[in-house]
Amino acid sequence: MAVRYSHRALLASALLLVSGAASAEPLGSHQPHIEASLGARVSKVSSAGYDPFAESDELVQLSLGLGATAFRAGPLSIAGVAFWDYGGHSAQARGQATSLTSQRLSVGPELRYHLLTPLYVFAHVLPAFAYTEASLDDDVAQATLYARHWSYGLDAAAGAAYELYGRRSGESVQPRLWAMAEGGYGYLGSTHLRLAPDASSHAPERTASVDLGSLSLAGPYARVSIAVSF
Amino acid sequence: MRTFAWLMCGGLALGCGGRPSAWDTSFSPADGKSGVSAAYGLTGSVAVVDRGLNRVSLLRSPSALELSAQSFALGQGLATAKLAFDRKTLFVLSRGVQPQRNPGDEPPKVTLLDGDSTFKIKQTYTLNDPLDQLALDPENEWAVVYGGSGLVVNENELVFIDLKKTGDDAVTFKTLRSFGQNPDRLTFTSALSISGADTRRFLIVERDSDLALVDLTNPGGDEVTVPLPRADNGGPGGSAQVVYGQGDDSVGSVIAVRITGSTSVLLLQLGAPTSSDQSFSVVTNLVDVGGFPSTIDLVHTSQGLRLMALVGTNAVLVDPRTAVSQVAQMPAPFNGIRRITSALDPAAAATDTDIALLYGTSTTQIAYFKLDVGTDAIDRLIDTSEIGVAVQSVIDVPGEAFHDRKILATPSHDFYVLDLGKRQTSPMKTTNGLTLEVAPDGGRVWAYQPGTPGFATVAFATLHPVSLVAERNVSSVFDIQAANGARSAIALHFGDGYQGGIGATVVDVAAPSTATARFFSGFELGGIQ
Repeated sequence: MAVRYSHRALLASALLLVSGAASAEPLGSHQPHIEASLGARVSKVSSAGYDPFAESDELVQLSLGLGATAFRAGPLSIAGVAFWDYGGHSAQARGQATSLTSQRLSVGPELRYHLLTPLYVFAHVLPAFAYTEASLDDDVAQATLYARHWSYGLDAAAGAAYELYGRRSGESVQPRLWAMAEGGYGYLGSTHLRLAPDASSHAPERTASVDLGSLSLAGPYARVSIAVSF
Repeated sequence: MRTFAWLMCGGLALGCGGRPSAWDTSFSPADGKSGVSAAYGLTGSVAVVDRGLNRVSLLRSPSALELSAQSFALGQGLATAKLAFDRKTLFVLSRGVQPQRNPGDEPPKVTLLDGDSTFKIKQTYTLNDPLDQLALDPENEWAVVYGGSGLVVNENELVFIDLKKTGDDAVTFKTLRSFGQNPDRLTFTSALSISGADTRRFLIVERDSDLALVDLTNPGGDEVTVPLPRADNGGPGGSAQVVYGQGDDSVGSVIAVRITGSTSVLLLQLGAPTSSDQSFSVVTNLVDVGGFPSTIDLVHTSQGLRLMALVGTNAVLVDPRTAVSQVAQMPAPFNGIRRITSALDPAAAATDTDIALLYGTSTTQIAYFKLDVGTDAIDRLIDTSEIGVAVQSVIDVPGEAFHDRKILATPSHDFYVLDLGKRQTSPMKTTNGLTLEVAPDGGRVWAYQPGTPGFATVAFATLHPVSLVAERNVSSVFDIQAANGARSAIALHFGDGYQGGIGATVVDVAAPSTATARFFSGFELGGIQ
């Protein structure tokens, strides 16, 4: 028991030390003023409504991000960030081709804390808006049916960013390259999937929608990205 | 990208999962060749068999132009499915998991699906051996399962299911004494009176060389087995047709058997038990009808119950008690008999003098034979009518509104609506041979050719045909009662090559038109968990 307490004390001291180190010198441009990121987001979607569109639960999306620091106090900073995630999945549902694409925009504040000059941790809770298009190539109707809808939710995540490349001096205004990783939970409200043909399709007249139940793209997710900061 | 995704999933312990394997199972309708049809029309729904998922999708109509579906698991290894005679229930026989490996493996069973009002599985009867064939009682009291497919098969075993009971009490296993082999055909009689005993029903089991009578008041009891007479050439005689009838007290109940290759008809007269261990006795009599009969029936004449056998151009009437026969010369070689007494008068008593409709595949005439045979000139009782086409079969019209109508199916493309009251036939010309589906309410008939988009309806009230062309090829058409009391016609589509899915064009029966019809699809995707 005594050994465990001494380990905790050592860890706390080390954190204080590095925090002190990070705050001992001004972080300057190590604390990004503006940041642009490119990466991938992988979500686990356990909703049964996702099954017709994917053979597994993962949803992989391209992720573009933008951030701008609005407030700084030593190693602590608050930035405004926005992410646009785009991706989808296609599969066969009982022999008929299906696909689902989703665009997700999340915008909000991000709290950052520099543990070391090249390393900071962050956490954010971002309101999210998603636009999803689901389609089914209906072999009987001989037409593609679509369901398009908006849904709303929240992305809550925490992560870390490590500076891969950049001048040592915080005075430098040269771009800096960061590797970032985050994990969290993305909540999105569920919507009912009723797929119907577009007006221009060759589906039979008065084709009723195909009801595939409720779909929610909520679930845990991970995002890894490379960012450039100024 | 996929590998990357899996790495991320694994690394972050998100535990990416799969989906139910049902999504990877393509839909293909049953082909009808193995005892299971693609779809069954019930009174209030259409049951579409989804063999890939061992389930049935029940299509219902909440209102005239609406359609919804619900899926029901039927059990693995579908063996056969049959509609109850009242078309309210679908009976499905499944073999279960074979061979069984674990105590929880699904056993063979008979599943009863209500397609009329509650739309749910209303009963399941578990069996202990996989069986293949199912016979249903027209009066919905019994179902009999037979024809096993196990390693060892008892061909003479029948499994009786008492549909008024539930659980194991409902199931009776019975092995027929073995003179013949696998049952060929099972016939449930209506209630027959037995002199000196209570009225009872029988199951007539036709086998290759004998016929067994099982008393349905005690199906587990001893049956009566009657060997079939040999054919006229000395070869084995088989049962070609079985009919039964109820005479007056002097005759009692009679079963008649037409024997292949024989000019004789076997008559079984059911009588009072002759010993204490019997519940009835059987007196057999072989009567020669003067030629090979094309068909037989037991009819009520003004002189009592008679065997009627059509032999060439003769209608031979045989008194089952005395074997004395009368011969009526027919104007044409009719080979079909349909008693139309109750169709003409629904209030007619069972023993009223019958009127028989005679028809044939090698004559273009039909005839009405009023069996008032108390005269010597019985030939004159046959009233013929030329319709210009041979008749293959006579289709009954259910319900009360048009009880006096019959549909005459012909070998040509045409079909005829026969008004028995007016003795009038109305030909319905078609360009192709059509499949006919009479609405369960008896108001109209639907005609279609599977694999083409056209279908049509003829209302019996007006005889006005309405031709419709769906936007996709039709596999079958059914007429069901909607939940709000309206009626909907469901034209099923299975996609090109019958491999796509379950679709339907729904037409309002009250105003049938494709200008207002609605198209539905994707029912095969529902209910997957």
